[in-house]
Amino acid sequence: MYKDLHVYQLEHPTQVIEWTSGRTVCVAGYSSSKNEILELHLPLKLFADENKGLCAERDFKVVHGGFAEGPVCCLRHVPGTRCVVTNDGLSSDLQVWTVGGDDSDVIRRTGSVKGRRSVSEGGSRIAAPLSSQLLHGARSSDVQLTQLTSGQILYTLETDSADPLSSLQFVSDTVFLAGCCNGNVYIADTRTSAAPQLSPGPAAWGGSVLWWTDASAGRVIRLSSSGQAVVSDLRDLGEAVSWAQLDVQSHRCNPDDVRVSWAPALDNCIAVSGFSGAVQIYKTSVWGTERQDVQPLFEHRGHAVSSQSDDDVFVTAHVWHPERPRTLLSAASDGSVHVWDWVDQSEL
Amino acid sequence: MPEIKVTPLGAGQDVGRSCILVSIGGKNIMLDCGMHMGYNDDRRFPDFSYITQNGRLTEFLDCVIISHFHLDHCGALPFMSEMVGYDGPIYMTHPTKAICPILLEDFRKITVDKKGETNFFTSQMIKDCMKKVVPLNLHQTVQVDDELEIKAYYAGHVLGAAMVQIKVGSESVVYTGDYNMTPDRHLGAAWIDKCRPDILISESTYATTIRDSKRCRERDFLKKVHESIERGGKVLIPVFALGRAQELCILLETFWERMNLKAPIYFSTGLTEKANHYYKLFITWTNQKIRKTFVQRNMFEFKHIKAFDRSYADNPGPMVVFATPGMLHAGQSLQIFKKWAGNEKNMVIMPGYCVQGTIGHKILNGQRKLEMEGRSTLDVKLQVEYMSFSAHADAKGIMQLIRMAEPRNMLLVHGEAVKMEFLKGKIEQEFSIDCHMPANGETATVTTNPSVPVDISLNLLKREMALGGPLPDPKKPRTMHGTLIMKENSLKLVSSEQALKELGLNEHQLRFTCRVQLQDPHSDPDTLNRIYTHLKSVLKGYTIQHLPDGTVMVESIVIKVSSSAEDTSTKVLLLSWSYQDEDLGSFLSTLLKKGLPSGLC
Repeated sequence: MYKDLHVYQLEHPTQVIEWTSGRTVCVAGYSSSKNEILELHLPLKLFADENKGLCAERDFKVVHGGFAEGPVCCLRHVPGTRCVVTNDGLSSDLQVWTVGGDDSDVIRRTGSVKGRRSVSEGGSRIAAPLSSQLLHGARSSDVQLTQLTSGQILYTLETDSADPLSSLQFVSDTVFLAGCCNGNVYIADTRTSAAPQLSPGPAAWGGSVLWWTDASAGRVIRLSSSGQAVVSDLRDLGEAVSWAQLDVQSHRCNPDDVRVSWAPALDNCIAVSGFSGAVQIYKTSVWGTERQDVQPLFEHRGHAVSSQSDDDVFVTAHVWHPERPRTLLSAASDGSVHVWDWVDQSEL
Repeated sequence: MPEIKVTPLGAGQDVGRSCILVSIGGKNIMLDCGMHMGYNDDRRFPDFSYITQNGRLTEFLDCVIISHFHLDHCGALPFMSEMVGYDGPIYMTHPTKAICPILLEDFRKITVDKKGETNFFTSQMIKDCMKKVVPLNLHQTVQVDDELEIKAYYAGHVLGAAMVQIKVGSESVVYTGDYNMTPDRHLGAAWIDKCRPDILISESTYATTIRDSKRCRERDFLKKVHESIERGGKVLIPVFALGRAQELCILLETFWERMNLKAPIYFSTGLTEKANHYYKLFITWTNQKIRKTFVQRNMFEFKHIKAFDRSYADNPGPMVVFATPGMLHAGQSLQIFKKWAGNEKNMVIMPGYCVQGTIGHKILNGQRKLEMEGRSTLDVKLQVEYMSFSAHADAKGIMQLIRMAEPRNMLLVHGEAVKMEFLKGKIEQEFSIDCHMPANGETATVTTNPSVPVDISLNLLKREMALGGPLPDPKKPRTMHGTLIMKENSLKLVSSEQALKELGLNEHQLRFTCRVQLQDPHSDPDTLNRIYTHLKSVLKGYTIQHLPDGTVMVESIVIKVSSSAEDTSTKVLLLSWSYQDEDLGSFLSTLLKKGLPSGLC
């Protein structure tokens, strides 16, 4: 079932896993008081492809660490720099951190970026396109592009409604997608002041639901809290390319934890987590235009199975490795972090 | 203020060799004496020149303590005791004492016979070194001398590994050595009581590592073994008699049972006997489960694991064999390796570190062609797997240990040049204690605040109790008066009288005398009378007497009056008081200097 499997236990659970390089990730606690931000180096064994047998090194190394005053609900690495930006989920302000160089193991707070409106439930989403620019906002009405070094606001998104956001990402150097919890998706270009393109949410199969969005290589997937998944083309969001009812325990969905993401190095694969103690991989190419129930191609149940706590364990975050096709990292509410490389049984 | 000094010895910034010097209460202790396995020259030994430039170490060290038998903790011991020179006691647990010399001899053989080195310790030196060993039992306090005591705690990690508490008076240090906070299949977890040492010494690599679970490591091992067996291959696992071998056997037995596998698993007989022997001797050092099993049956009576015979190595078909020695440098494991190396279906799994110069080390470095005796070459076609099964604590574990012991200060030994500010901050914040991180060769000084226990005499205690007031409360300090005497190395708090008696001293009385000039046109006795009246009105509540011998006494203060020779109205008052009445005496002299009020009759 697995080519590689590594299971770790952090002292405190994390809601964020963010790549800071091809071999390092940042994780951070989300308790209400002081939390640690850690930069971890993945085990050498994972990368020793030809000589895997000769490498015994299976552990995470804590390479850098720092302390945050409140919870860390969103963490983004600014590409091309040693900076990460965080948001505490309570306000729309962002904290800027510098991950120490070779001579220091400290992640130090070096600045902050003010959000458009200070108090906000649900916190901000952050996207970082080029070095030193940040796109951030908690609602569709307060999204702005800020120059990191000067604090100058380069662009603001003007919308009629203030829908809370569930995702914010760039689909090209300047075009971004803001996914709202109600299913609306805004697409805008930071170079122009033209009105954004609004695509309303798909017709929900179960009553009122929340939506999450992810875009990659021209396709967009929207996932609802009832497990409904819709694939569309980026240029034509109004039309659905395919739909499916995923096999998730929708009644137990924890809005803070739900994640859906396209595999960066695999065609038509998505990973879904946050509904339970499992991470599911689905192949969207087998979906049709009629509503149908689908089964995951692979299910990583490790967190639920190896949990030592009596409470139900929830997966709080997952990320795909940017290059290795089937390698993922996932974290759960009991503090566990897994690194796994799954085997596609259908290809055997 | 008293201090404890800790210096990690070393020639270089590498981790890989443990040797720490501690100076506490006037005593010098060496903790571990490890060899650095990565070097071939003098860098592999700790730098003893820190202790003394030349000459023997005996007079500079009160004792040496070894935490466990791994070579990076005891590998330099014979060199230190026999070649540099040390004749004092060397403390280690019973299992360590039994196993250490075997590993040292193996290591010596590899270094001298295989690599042809000359400046290395001999077999006789190992024997002479071990003669200096004093074995320790768990939780037993051992008096090294009148002032220095040590105690060993269970550390897990390997058979016989201990964490050590060193105590002089009320100052103490705990050294963890290598330890493990989670029990495994044959060893328990480390444990220590809330001994509150002044310093807890540990390795920093623990704190910066987050360990992959045991389950994943085992899964990987079982997967590799299973894959080889499935394709008809043979699996060789070179092991040292104890420790991991036991763990892996239990693991395979359980797996074979669950998967209903038929391929044979063998254990070379020499191994079985030795292992059984040691486990019998040291059964108290294993965990609860093993002890229960051992009572019912022999350690190595497995359903699926049988004794090995040399001839089996040539049998066709899949099999798994555990054989010694662990680094493939000689003996049975090497013989089997030579037979199986040429077949790519086969596999060798190295469960631990291999010393330079051994076949194990070469193949783990990717070497696929080996030069054997008689100029023949061996093609290494089988699969080589390196798996680390050593049980170590990690970031979470170190925090747990600190919580258990509650040290006043933390000291992390590391070899790396990188400043570990985050780690230091984390410990300081979480526990509100200082965290020191001396580099090799650097000394960390920790100031201690020891409490000094003192006996109190019964009389003094009774006297204090008789004064009344609230009952004694350990949280509220109470001032009391007494004399502290030090007699025959014990401290006692007694009353002054008793102190004088016990020390055979005479009590000295201090008396102050003061002259005050006064203008008073009366006769001397009249002036005295006037003084008496004045004082009686001012000092109400004090005992004031006008004595027939011509003096006025206020408490014990004596006042006399005399006239100046030249002028009878210039009176000279002589005031005399003892030290106890200092305050009153000073008050009186100041008062009388002001003169007598006119309204007096």
